[in-house]
Amino acid sequence: MRHDRARSRTVRTEYEDIEFENNAQRLPLVLCLDTSSSMSGPPIQTLNEALREWARELHDDVSLSHSVDVAVVTFGQQGVSTWKGSRQLPPQSPDSPFVPAHAFRPPQLFAEGVTLMTEALELAMWIVSARKTELRRSGLQYYRPQICLVTDGLPTDGTGHLTDNWKRVVPVLAAEQQARHFRLYAIGVGGITPRGEEVLQAFAPKFNARLNGFPFRQLLQMMSASATAEQKGAGDEVFEKIFSQFKTQRPAWES
Amino acid sequence: MDRHDGRDRHDGRDAHDRRDAHDRRDGPAQSAWRIHGMSVEGYRHRRDGIPCQDAWHSAVVGPPDAAVVVLAVADGAGSRPHSGQGARFAVQLATSHFGQRAEVRPQSADAVHALLLDAFKDVREEFVSRTDGDPDDFAATLTVVVLAPTWLGHLSVGDGFVVLRSGAEGGERLFHLLPQPDAVSEYSNETVFLTSPDAEHWVHTECVCDEGIDGVLLSTDGLTQAALSRSAGRPRGANASFASAVLRSLDAPGPDPHADDLALAELLRSDRLTAFNADDKTLLRAVRP
Repeated sequence: MRHDRARSRTVRTEYEDIEFENNAQRLPLVLCLDTSSSMSGPPIQTLNEALREWARELHDDVSLSHSVDVAVVTFGQQGVSTWKGSRQLPPQSPDSPFVPAHAFRPPQLFAEGVTLMTEALELAMWIVSARKTELRRSGLQYYRPQICLVTDGLPTDGTGHLTDNWKRVVPVLAAEQQARHFRLYAIGVGGITPRGEEVLQAFAPKFNARLNGFPFRQLLQMMSASATAEQKGAGDEVFEKIFSQFKTQRPAWES
Repeated sequence: MDRHDGRDRHDGRDAHDRRDAHDRRDGPAQSAWRIHGMSVEGYRHRRDGIPCQDAWHSAVVGPPDAAVVVLAVADGAGSRPHSGQGARFAVQLATSHFGQRAEVRPQSADAVHALLLDAFKDVREEFVSRTDGDPDDFAATLTVVVLAPTWLGHLSVGDGFVVLRSGAEGGERLFHLLPQPDAVSEYSNETVFLTSPDAEHWVHTECVCDEGIDGVLLSTDGLTQAALSRSAGRPRGANASFASAVLRSLDAPGPDPHADDLALAELLRSDRLTAFNADDKTLLRAVRP
Protein backbone atom coordinates (compact mmCIF):
# COMPACT_ATOMS: atom_id res chain seq x y z
CA MET A 1 0.00 0.00 0.00
CA ARG A 2 2.82 2.31 0.87
CA HIS A 3 4.42 1.58 -2.45
CA ASP A 4 1.18 2.35 -4.35
CA ARG A 5 0.66 5.61 -2.58
CA ALA A 6 4.19 6.75 -3.31
CA ARG A 7 3.78 5.78 -6.93
CA SER A 8 0.47 7.54 -7.29
CA ARG A 9 2.05 10.78 -6.25
CA THR A 10 4.59 10.57 -9.01
CA VAL A 11 2.10 9.35 -11.62
CA ARG A 12 -0.50 12.02 -11.00
CA THR A 13 1.52 15.13 -10.47
CA GLU A 14 -1.03 17.16 -12.43
CA TYR A 15 -3.19 17.34 -9.31
CA GLU A 16 -0.38 19.04 -7.45
CA ASP A 17 -0.49 21.93 -9.89
CA ILE A 18 -4.17 22.72 -9.36
CA GLU A 19 -4.61 26.32 -8.35
CA PHE A 20 -7.09 26.96 -5.57
CA GLU A 21 -8.47 30.21 -4.35
CA ASN A 22 -8.36 30.89 -0.64
CA ASN A 23 -12.08 30.43 -0.23
CA ALA A 24 -12.72 28.08 2.68
CA GLN A 25 -16.13 28.39 4.29
CA ARG A 26 -15.82 30.71 7.26
CA LEU A 27 -17.17 30.36 10.78
CA PRO A 28 -16.94 33.64 12.73
CA LEU A 29 -16.48 33.06 16.46
CA VAL A 30 -16.43 35.92 18.96
CA LEU A 31 -15.22 35.50 22.52
CA CYS A 32 -16.76 38.28 24.60
CA LEU A 33 -14.81 38.15 27.84
CA ASP A 34 -15.19 39.86 31.18
CA THR A 35 -11.82 41.29 32.21
CA SER A 36 -13.12 43.59 34.94
CA SER A 37 -11.35 43.87 38.29
CA SER A 38 -13.33 41.03 39.84
CA MET A 39 -11.51 38.66 37.47
CA SER A 40 -8.08 39.60 38.80
CA GLY A 41 -5.74 37.00 40.25
CA PRO A 42 -6.18 33.30 39.52
CA PRO A 43 -9.31 33.72 37.31
CA ILE A 44 -7.57 35.87 34.67
CA GLN A 45 -4.48 33.66 34.83
CA THR A 46 -6.65 30.60 34.25
CA LEU A 47 -8.34 32.36 31.33
CA ASN A 48 -5.01 33.27 29.73
CA GLU A 49 -3.74 29.72 30.09
CA ALA A 50 -6.97 28.30 28.66
CA LEU A 51 -6.76 30.65 25.67
CA ARG A 52 -3.22 29.52 24.94
CA GLU A 53 -4.19 25.86 25.17
CA TRP A 54 -7.26 26.40 22.99
CA ALA A 55 -5.21 28.20 20.34
CA ARG A 56 -2.90 25.18 20.16
CA GLU A 57 -5.85 22.82 19.81
CA LEU A 58 -7.36 24.96 17.06
CA HIS A 59 -4.08 24.95 15.16
CA ASP A 60 -4.02 21.14 15.31
CA ASP A 61 -7.53 20.71 13.91
CA VAL A 62 -7.17 20.57 10.13
CA SER A 63 -10.72 21.70 9.54
CA LEU A 64 -11.34 24.25 12.31
CA SER A 65 -7.93 25.84 11.81
CA HIS A 66 -8.86 26.94 8.30
CA SER A 67 -12.52 27.75 8.73
CA VAL A 68 -12.95 29.34 12.16
CA ASP A 69 -12.21 33.06 12.38
CA VAL A 70 -11.65 34.20 15.95
CA ALA A 71 -12.26 37.69 17.34
CA VAL A 72 -11.94 38.69 20.98
CA VAL A 73 -13.92 41.43 22.71
CA THR A 74 -13.08 42.30 26.30
CA PHE A 75 -14.87 44.47 28.82
CA GLY A 76 -12.92 45.75 31.77
CA GLN A 77 -9.66 47.57 31.45
CA GLN A 78 -10.09 50.59 29.16
CA GLY A 79 -13.82 49.95 28.79
CA VAL A 80 -14.66 47.76 25.80
CA SER A 81 -11.86 46.58 23.49
CA THR A 82 -11.43 44.39 20.47
CA TRP A 83 -8.41 42.22 19.93
CA LYS A 84 -7.03 40.97 16.65
CA GLY A 85 -5.30 37.91 18.05
CA SER A 86 -2.77 39.17 20.57
CA ARG A 87 -3.02 42.79 19.40
CA GLN A 88 -5.46 45.19 21.02
CA LEU A 89 -7.09 47.34 18.35
CA PRO A 90 -7.45 51.08 18.95
CA PRO A 91 -11.03 52.32 19.44
CA GLN A 92 -12.89 52.88 16.13
CA SER A 93 -10.22 50.92 14.28
CA PRO A 94 -11.33 50.03 10.74
CA ASP A 95 -9.26 46.86 11.03
CA SER A 96 -11.33 43.64 11.34
CA PRO A 97 -10.58 41.84 14.62
CA PHE A 98 -11.12 38.42 13.02
CA VAL A 99 -8.09 36.16 12.65
CA PRO A 100 -8.11 32.72 10.97
CA ALA A 101 -7.80 30.12 13.71
CA HIS A 102 -4.55 28.77 12.27
CA ALA A 103 -3.00 32.19 12.78
CA PHE A 104 -4.70 33.00 16.09
CA ARG A 105 -2.35 34.06 18.88
CA PRO A 106 -4.23 34.65 22.12
CA PRO A 107 -4.04 38.01 23.86
CA GLN A 108 -2.46 38.40 27.30
CA LEU A 109 -5.39 39.75 29.28
CA PHE A 110 -5.30 41.80 32.47
CA ALA A 111 -8.19 42.22 34.88
CA GLU A 112 -9.06 45.76 35.78
CA GLY A 113 -11.90 48.23 35.49
CA VAL A 114 -15.68 48.10 35.19
CA THR A 115 -18.19 45.69 33.62
CA LEU A 116 -19.51 47.24 30.41
CA MET A 117 -21.24 44.02 29.46
CA THR A 118 -24.04 45.61 27.43
CA GLU A 119 -21.65 47.67 25.33
CA ALA A 120 -19.44 44.62 24.79
CA LEU A 121 -22.36 42.55 23.53
CA GLU A 122 -23.42 45.35 21.22
CA LEU A 123 -19.89 45.54 19.87
CA ALA A 124 -19.80 41.75 19.41
CA MET A 125 -23.04 41.88 17.40
CA TRP A 126 -21.68 44.73 15.31
CA ILE A 127 -18.43 43.00 14.41
CA VAL A 128 -20.32 39.81 13.48
CA SER A 129 -22.59 41.77 11.19
CA ALA A 130 -19.64 43.63 9.64
CA ARG A 131 -17.81 40.34 9.15
CA LYS A 132 -20.77 38.82 7.31
CA THR A 133 -20.92 41.84 5.01
CA GLU A 134 -17.21 41.51 4.35
CA LEU A 135 -17.53 37.77 3.61
CA ARG A 136 -20.46 38.31 1.25
CA ARG A 137 -18.53 41.02 -0.59
CA SER A 138 -15.64 38.61 -1.00
CA GLY A 139 -17.97 35.91 -2.31
CA LEU A 140 -17.11 33.65 0.63
CA GLN A 141 -19.61 31.24 2.15
CA TYR A 142 -20.08 31.06 5.89
CA TYR A 143 -21.67 29.18 8.75
CA ARG A 144 -23.82 30.68 11.49
CA PRO A 145 -21.50 32.75 13.71
CA GLN A 146 -21.07 32.04 17.40
CA ILE A 147 -20.72 34.56 20.20
CA CYS A 148 -19.65 33.41 23.64
CA LEU A 149 -20.19 35.83 26.52
CA VAL A 150 -18.31 35.00 29.72
CA THR A 151 -18.70 36.99 32.92
CA ASP A 152 -18.50 36.69 36.68
CA GLY A 153 -20.50 39.79 37.47
CA LEU A 154 -23.32 42.21 36.75
CA PRO A 155 -23.41 44.90 34.07
CA THR A 156 -22.21 48.30 35.24
CA ASP A 157 -21.92 51.75 33.73
CA GLY A 158 -18.64 53.48 33.02
CA THR A 159 -18.29 54.54 36.66
CA GLY A 160 -18.69 51.01 37.96
CA HIS A 161 -22.24 51.42 39.25
CA LEU A 162 -24.79 48.72 38.61
CA THR A 163 -27.16 49.62 35.81
CA ASP A 164 -30.25 48.30 34.11
CA ASN A 165 -29.07 49.42 30.70
CA TRP A 166 -28.59 45.75 29.76
CA LYS A 167 -32.37 45.56 29.34
CA ARG A 168 -32.10 47.59 26.16
CA VAL A 169 -30.18 44.82 24.43
CA VAL A 170 -32.53 41.98 25.41
CA PRO A 171 -35.13 42.53 22.65
CA VAL A 172 -32.34 43.09 20.11
CA LEU A 173 -30.66 39.84 21.10
CA ALA A 174 -33.99 38.01 21.02
CA ALA A 175 -34.74 39.23 17.49
CA GLU A 176 -31.22 38.48 16.28
CA GLN A 177 -31.27 34.95 17.69
CA GLN A 178 -34.78 34.38 16.35
CA ALA A 179 -33.52 35.42 12.91
CA ARG A 180 -30.62 32.95 13.38
CA HIS A 181 -28.06 35.69 12.81
CA PHE A 182 -25.75 34.01 15.34
CA ARG A 183 -25.70 31.58 18.24
CA LEU A 184 -25.16 33.23 21.62
CA TYR A 185 -23.77 31.39 24.60
CA ALA A 186 -23.89 33.29 27.92
CA ILE A 187 -21.78 31.77 30.67
CA GLY A 188 -21.51 32.85 34.28
CA VAL A 189 -18.41 31.79 36.18
CA GLY A 190 -16.85 32.17 39.63
CA GLY A 191 -19.03 33.89 42.14
CA ILE A 192 -21.71 35.17 39.79
CA THR A 193 -24.86 35.99 41.74
CA PRO A 194 -28.39 34.75 41.03
CA ARG A 195 -29.12 38.24 39.68
CA GLY A 196 -26.18 37.94 37.34
CA GLU A 197 -27.54 34.61 36.23
CA GLU A 198 -30.91 36.23 35.48
CA VAL A 199 -29.19 38.68 33.16
CA LEU A 200 -27.54 35.81 31.27
CA GLN A 201 -30.88 33.98 31.03
CA ALA A 202 -32.43 37.09 29.51
CA PHE A 203 -29.59 37.38 26.98
CA ALA A 204 -29.51 33.73 25.93
CA PRO A 205 -32.65 31.91 27.05
CA LYS A 206 -31.50 28.55 25.65
CA PHE A 207 -27.75 28.63 26.00
CA ASN A 208 -26.95 30.09 29.40
CA ALA A 209 -25.13 28.48 32.28
CA ARG A 210 -23.74 29.23 35.72
CA LEU A 211 -20.59 27.27 36.37
CA ASN A 212 -18.61 26.63 39.48
CA GLY A 213 -15.10 28.00 39.43
CA PHE A 214 -13.46 29.12 36.21
CA PRO A 215 -13.56 26.12 33.83
CA PHE A 216 -12.38 28.18 30.84
CA ARG A 217 -10.67 25.25 29.20
CA GLN A 218 -13.88 23.21 29.10
CA LEU A 219 -15.75 26.29 27.96
CA LEU A 220 -13.45 26.85 25.00
CA GLN A 221 -13.57 23.15 24.14
CA MET A 222 -17.35 23.45 24.11
CA MET A 223 -17.04 26.30 21.61
CA SER A 224 -14.89 24.07 19.38
CA ALA A 225 -17.44 21.25 19.71
CA SER A 226 -20.17 23.69 18.73
CA ALA A 227 -18.13 24.89 15.73
CA THR A 228 -17.61 21.29 14.65
CA ALA A 229 -21.35 20.59 14.96
CA GLU A 230 -22.03 23.68 12.87
CA GLN A 231 -19.72 22.37 10.16
CA LYS A 232 -21.52 19.05 10.19
CA GLY A 233 -24.85 20.79 9.64
CA ALA A 234 -26.15 19.47 12.95
CA GLY A 235 -29.68 20.22 14.08
CA ASP A 236 -30.51 22.44 17.07
CA GLU A 237 -30.96 19.39 19.24
CA VAL A 238 -27.26 18.57 18.83
CA PHE A 239 -26.23 22.04 20.06
CA GLU A 240 -28.59 21.68 23.00
CA LYS A 241 -27.07 18.32 23.85
CA ILE A 242 -23.52 19.66 23.63
CA PHE A 243 -24.45 22.58 25.85
CA SER A 244 -26.35 20.52 28.35
CA GLN A 245 -23.40 18.16 28.72
CA PHE A 246 -21.09 21.14 29.09
CA LYS A 247 -23.28 22.63 31.83
CA THR A 248 -22.86 19.52 33.90
CA GLN A 249 -19.11 19.97 33.36
CA ARG A 250 -18.64 16.55 31.86
CA PRO A 251 -16.57 16.43 28.67
CA ALA A 252 -19.25 14.19 27.17
CA TRP A 253 -19.23 15.92 23.80
CA GLU A 254 -16.17 13.88 23.11
CA SER A 255 -18.29 10.74 23.18
CA MET B 1 -28.91 -3.47 -7.15
CA ASP B 2 -27.55 -3.86 -10.70
CA ARG B 3 -30.36 -3.83 -13.14
CA HIS B 4 -31.17 -3.57 -16.85
CA ASP B 5 -28.60 -5.48 -18.85
CA GLY B 6 -25.65 -5.00 -16.60
CA ARG B 7 -24.79 -1.63 -18.03
CA ASP B 8 -25.90 0.03 -14.85
CA ARG B 9 -23.11 1.21 -12.55
CA HIS B 10 -23.07 2.11 -8.92
CA ASP B 11 -20.55 2.66 -6.24
CA GLY B 12 -21.59 -0.13 -3.88
CA ARG B 13 -20.22 1.74 -0.92
CA ASP B 14 -22.13 -0.20 1.72
CA ALA B 15 -19.02 -2.02 2.84
CA HIS B 16 -16.86 0.21 4.95
CA ASP B 17 -13.63 -1.13 3.54
CA ARG B 18 -14.58 -0.31 -0.03
CA ARG B 19 -13.72 3.29 0.24
CA ASP B 20 -12.48 3.96 -3.21
CA ALA B 21 -14.60 4.07 -6.27
CA HIS B 22 -14.78 1.34 -8.80
CA ASP B 23 -13.26 2.10 -12.09
CA ARG B 24 -15.64 2.98 -14.90
CA ARG B 25 -13.37 3.83 -17.70
CA ASP B 26 -13.93 0.69 -19.73
CA GLY B 27 -17.51 1.83 -20.09
CA PRO B 28 -20.19 0.12 -22.05
CA ALA B 29 -19.70 0.03 -25.77
CA GLN B 30 -23.07 1.64 -26.32
CA SER B 31 -21.94 4.93 -24.88
CA ALA B 32 -19.25 7.21 -26.24
CA TRP B 33 -18.72 8.53 -22.73
CA ARG B 34 -16.03 7.33 -20.35
CA ILE B 35 -17.42 7.56 -16.84
CA HIS B 36 -15.75 7.49 -13.45
CA GLY B 37 -17.16 8.21 -10.01
CA MET B 38 -15.70 8.40 -6.54
CA SER B 39 -16.98 9.32 -3.09
CA VAL B 40 -14.66 9.70 -0.12
CA GLU B 41 -15.52 10.39 3.48
CA GLY B 42 -14.63 13.86 4.76
CA TYR B 43 -12.22 14.74 7.53
CA ARG B 44 -14.86 14.74 10.27
CA HIS B 45 -16.35 11.43 9.28
CA ARG B 46 -12.89 9.93 8.88
CA ARG B 47 -11.87 11.13 12.33
CA ASP B 48 -15.09 9.91 13.94
CA GLY B 49 -15.15 6.59 12.07
CA ILE B 50 -18.45 7.46 10.35
CA PRO B 51 -18.97 6.11 6.81
CA CYS B 52 -19.30 8.42 3.84
CA GLN B 53 -22.79 9.88 3.41
CA ASP B 54 -22.29 10.88 -0.22
CA ALA B 55 -23.17 8.59 -3.12
CA TRP B 56 -22.96 8.51 -6.89
CA HIS B 57 -24.43 6.30 -9.57
CA SER B 58 -24.46 6.10 -13.34
CA ALA B 59 -26.42 4.17 -15.94
CA VAL B 60 -26.58 3.85 -19.71
CA VAL B 61 -30.00 3.23 -21.25
CA GLY B 62 -31.56 3.07 -24.70
CA PRO B 63 -30.52 1.48 -27.97
CA PRO B 64 -26.84 1.38 -28.93
CA ASP B 65 -27.22 4.04 -31.63
CA ALA B 66 -28.98 6.48 -29.29
CA ALA B 67 -27.65 5.66 -25.86
CA VAL B 68 -28.47 7.97 -22.98
CA VAL B 69 -26.17 8.31 -19.98
CA VAL B 70 -27.63 9.22 -16.60
CA LEU B 71 -25.30 10.53 -13.89
CA ALA B 72 -26.36 11.24 -10.32
CA VAL B 73 -24.71 12.39 -7.09
CA ALA B 74 -26.29 12.84 -3.66
CA ASP B 75 -25.21 14.17 -0.30
CA GLY B 76 -26.89 12.74 2.80
CA ALA B 77 -27.85 15.33 5.42
CA GLY B 78 -25.27 15.25 8.20
CA SER B 79 -27.91 15.67 10.87
CA ARG B 80 -30.05 12.70 9.79
CA PRO B 81 -29.53 9.15 11.05
CA HIS B 82 -29.92 7.25 7.76
CA SER B 83 -28.82 9.89 5.29
CA GLY B 84 -25.98 7.79 3.84
CA GLN B 85 -28.51 5.11 2.95
CA GLY B 86 -30.82 7.83 1.66
CA ALA B 87 -28.10 9.20 -0.63
CA ARG B 88 -27.40 5.75 -2.08
CA PHE B 89 -31.10 5.09 -2.61
CA ALA B 90 -31.62 8.53 -4.19
CA VAL B 91 -28.92 8.07 -6.85
CA GLN B 92 -30.14 4.58 -7.73
CA LEU B 93 -33.71 5.77 -8.11
CA ALA B 94 -32.51 8.76 -10.12
CA THR B 95 -30.61 6.76 -12.72
CA SER B 96 -33.55 4.39 -13.03
CA HIS B 97 -36.35 6.95 -13.35
CA PHE B 98 -34.46 9.58 -15.35
CA GLY B 99 -33.27 6.79 -17.65
CA GLN B 100 -36.81 5.55 -18.23
CA ARG B 101 -38.19 9.03 -18.84
CA ALA B 102 -35.34 9.93 -21.22
CA GLU B 103 -36.25 7.09 -23.56
CA VAL B 104 -39.21 9.09 -24.92
CA ARG B 105 -36.77 11.32 -26.89
CA PRO B 106 -38.13 14.82 -26.22
CA GLN B 107 -38.33 17.15 -29.22
CA SER B 108 -37.95 20.53 -27.50
CA ALA B 109 -36.26 22.20 -24.57
CA ASP B 110 -39.65 22.54 -22.88
CA ALA B 111 -40.18 18.82 -23.24
CA VAL B 112 -36.77 18.20 -21.65
CA HIS B 113 -37.64 20.40 -18.66
CA ALA B 114 -40.97 18.59 -18.30
CA LEU B 115 -39.26 15.21 -18.56
CA LEU B 116 -36.77 16.14 -15.84
CA LEU B 117 -39.48 17.33 -13.49
CA ASP B 118 -41.59 14.24 -14.11
CA ALA B 119 -38.61 12.01 -13.41
CA PHE B 120 -37.91 13.98 -10.22
CA LYS B 121 -41.50 13.43 -9.07
CA ASP B 122 -41.13 9.70 -9.79
CA VAL B 123 -37.94 9.58 -7.73
CA ARG B 124 -39.42 11.53 -4.85
CA GLU B 125 -42.58 9.46 -4.79
CA GLU B 126 -40.78 6.15 -4.74
CA PHE B 127 -38.19 7.44 -2.24
CA VAL B 128 -40.87 8.54 0.20
CA SER B 129 -42.95 5.40 -0.21
CA ARG B 130 -40.06 2.99 0.17
CA THR B 131 -38.19 4.52 3.10
CA ASP B 132 -39.20 2.97 6.40
CA GLY B 133 -40.43 5.41 9.00
CA ASP B 134 -39.76 9.12 8.55
CA PRO B 135 -38.37 9.89 5.06
CA ASP B 136 -36.61 12.94 6.55
CA ASP B 137 -34.33 10.54 8.39
CA PHE B 138 -32.97 9.64 4.92
CA ALA B 139 -32.68 13.25 3.70
CA ALA B 140 -30.23 13.83 0.85
CA THR B 141 -29.59 16.36 -1.89
CA LEU B 142 -29.74 15.12 -5.49
CA THR B 143 -28.02 16.34 -8.66
CA VAL B 144 -28.68 14.58 -11.95
CA VAL B 145 -27.33 14.97 -15.48
CA VAL B 146 -28.87 13.21 -18.48
CA LEU B 147 -26.56 12.98 -21.51
CA ALA B 148 -28.68 12.32 -24.58
CA PRO B 149 -27.33 12.42 -28.15
CA THR B 150 -28.71 15.89 -28.88
CA TRP B 151 -29.31 17.44 -25.48
CA LEU B 152 -28.05 17.56 -21.91
CA GLY B 153 -30.58 17.75 -19.08
CA HIS B 154 -29.70 18.84 -15.55
CA LEU B 155 -31.83 18.73 -12.44
CA SER B 156 -30.71 19.64 -8.97
CA VAL B 157 -32.27 19.94 -5.55
CA GLY B 158 -29.86 21.15 -2.90
CA ASP B 159 -26.31 22.37 -3.27
CA GLY B 160 -24.68 19.89 -5.65
CA PHE B 161 -23.26 21.35 -8.85
CA VAL B 162 -22.30 20.55 -12.43
CA VAL B 163 -19.44 21.86 -14.56
CA LEU B 164 -19.30 21.32 -18.34
CA ARG B 165 -16.28 21.45 -20.61
CA SER B 166 -17.06 22.86 -24.03
CA GLY B 167 -15.25 25.05 -26.51
CA ALA B 168 -11.93 26.82 -26.24
CA GLU B 169 -10.58 30.34 -26.23
CA GLY B 170 -6.99 31.21 -27.06
CA GLY B 171 -6.10 27.54 -26.98
CA GLU B 172 -7.51 27.11 -23.45
CA ARG B 173 -10.48 24.85 -22.83
CA LEU B 174 -13.56 26.57 -21.40
CA PHE B 175 -15.49 25.37 -18.35
CA HIS B 176 -19.05 26.33 -17.52
CA LEU B 177 -20.81 26.05 -14.19
CA LEU B 178 -24.49 25.24 -14.73
CA PRO B 179 -26.84 27.52 -12.79
CA GLN B 180 -27.61 26.23 -9.31
CA PRO B 181 -30.86 26.45 -7.37
CA ASP B 182 -31.23 29.61 -5.30
CA ALA B 183 -29.67 29.45 -1.84
CA VAL B 184 -32.29 28.84 0.86
CA SER B 185 -30.32 30.47 3.63
CA GLU B 186 -27.39 32.78 4.17
CA TYR B 187 -25.49 29.83 5.65
CA SER B 188 -23.58 27.46 3.44
CA ASN B 189 -24.47 24.35 5.44
CA GLU B 190 -28.24 24.76 5.07
CA THR B 191 -29.93 23.44 1.98
CA VAL B 192 -32.98 21.69 0.51
CA PHE B 193 -33.28 17.91 0.35
CA LEU B 194 -35.13 15.49 -1.85
CA THR B 195 -37.47 14.90 1.08
CA SER B 196 -38.06 18.57 1.99
CA PRO B 197 -41.81 19.31 1.90
CA ASP B 198 -41.39 22.04 -0.71
CA ALA B 199 -38.56 20.36 -2.65
CA GLU B 200 -40.39 20.71 -5.98
CA HIS B 201 -40.35 24.49 -5.61
CA TRP B 202 -36.61 24.54 -5.11
CA VAL B 203 -35.75 22.19 -7.97
CA HIS B 204 -33.68 23.72 -10.73
CA THR B 205 -33.65 22.33 -14.27
CA GLU B 206 -31.55 23.13 -17.31
CA CYS B 207 -31.54 21.97 -20.90
CA VAL B 208 -28.30 22.48 -22.82
CA CYS B 209 -27.94 21.79 -26.54
CA ASP B 210 -24.24 21.91 -27.37
CA GLU B 211 -22.57 19.16 -29.32
CA GLY B 212 -19.20 20.51 -28.24
CA ILE B 213 -19.60 19.28 -24.68
CA ASP B 214 -16.91 16.67 -24.13
CA GLY B 215 -16.52 16.76 -20.37
CA VAL B 216 -18.99 16.75 -17.48
CA LEU B 217 -18.29 16.91 -13.78
CA LEU B 218 -20.90 16.44 -11.04
CA SER B 219 -20.17 17.03 -7.39
CA THR B 220 -21.75 17.44 -3.99
CA ASP B 221 -21.08 20.58 -1.97
CA GLY B 222 -17.93 19.14 -0.40
CA LEU B 223 -15.96 20.31 -3.43
CA THR B 224 -17.66 23.68 -3.86
CA GLN B 225 -14.68 25.68 -2.63
CA ALA B 226 -12.15 23.66 -4.62
CA ALA B 227 -14.02 23.32 -7.90
CA LEU B 228 -15.72 26.70 -8.09
CA SER B 229 -14.37 30.15 -8.31
CA ARG B 230 -15.80 32.77 -6.02
CA SER B 231 -16.81 36.20 -7.06
CA ALA B 232 -18.48 39.07 -5.31
CA GLY B 233 -22.04 38.07 -5.93
CA ARG B 234 -23.44 35.50 -8.27
CA PRO B 235 -23.05 33.79 -10.55
CA ARG B 236 -19.97 31.96 -9.51
CA GLY B 237 -17.89 30.19 -12.12
CA ALA B 238 -15.89 27.02 -12.47
CA ASN B 239 -12.33 26.86 -11.19
CA ALA B 240 -10.80 25.99 -14.57
CA SER B 241 -7.60 24.72 -12.99
CA PHE B 242 -9.46 22.08 -10.97
CA ALA B 243 -11.93 21.04 -13.67
CA SER B 244 -9.21 20.88 -16.27
CA ALA B 245 -6.96 18.64 -14.14
CA VAL B 246 -9.62 16.16 -13.04
CA LEU B 247 -11.16 15.82 -16.52
CA ARG B 248 -7.76 15.54 -18.19
CA SER B 249 -6.84 12.60 -15.96
CA LEU B 250 -9.90 10.77 -17.26
CA ASP B 251 -9.19 11.82 -20.87
CA ALA B 252 -5.77 10.21 -20.62
CA PRO B 253 -5.80 7.61 -17.86
CA GLY B 254 -2.58 6.09 -16.63
CA PRO B 255 -1.64 2.45 -17.25
CA ASP B 256 -2.85 1.33 -13.82
CA PRO B 257 -6.48 2.21 -13.00
CA HIS B 258 -5.90 1.43 -9.33
CA ALA B 259 -3.06 3.93 -9.15
CA ASP B 260 -5.28 6.55 -10.81
CA ASP B 261 -7.99 5.91 -8.21
CA LEU B 262 -5.50 6.22 -5.38
CA ALA B 263 -4.19 9.49 -6.78
CA LEU B 264 -7.69 10.95 -7.07
CA ALA B 265 -8.66 9.72 -3.61
CA GLU B 266 -5.49 11.26 -2.25
CA LEU B 267 -6.42 14.58 -3.82
CA LEU B 268 -9.97 14.44 -2.41
CA ARG B 269 -8.70 13.54 1.05
CA SER B 270 -5.80 15.99 1.00
CA ASP B 271 -5.34 18.55 3.73
CA ARG B 272 -5.60 21.41 1.29
CA LEU B 273 -9.09 20.31 0.21
CA THR B 274 -10.08 19.51 3.80
CA ALA B 275 -9.06 23.00 4.82
CA PHE B 276 -11.69 24.37 2.42
CA ASN B 277 -14.41 21.98 3.42
CA ALA B 278 -14.44 19.03 5.85
CA ASP B 279 -17.51 17.36 4.27
CA ASP B 280 -17.60 14.12 2.32
CA LYS B 281 -16.53 14.61 -1.28
CA THR B 282 -17.89 13.17 -4.51
CA LEU B 283 -16.64 13.56 -8.02
CA LEU B 284 -18.51 11.95 -10.92
CA ARG B 285 -16.86 12.61 -14.28
CA ALA B 286 -17.74 11.80 -17.85
CA VAL B 287 -15.57 12.56 -20.89
CA ARG B 288 -15.71 11.63 -24.56
CA PRO B 289 -13.03 11.83 -27.21
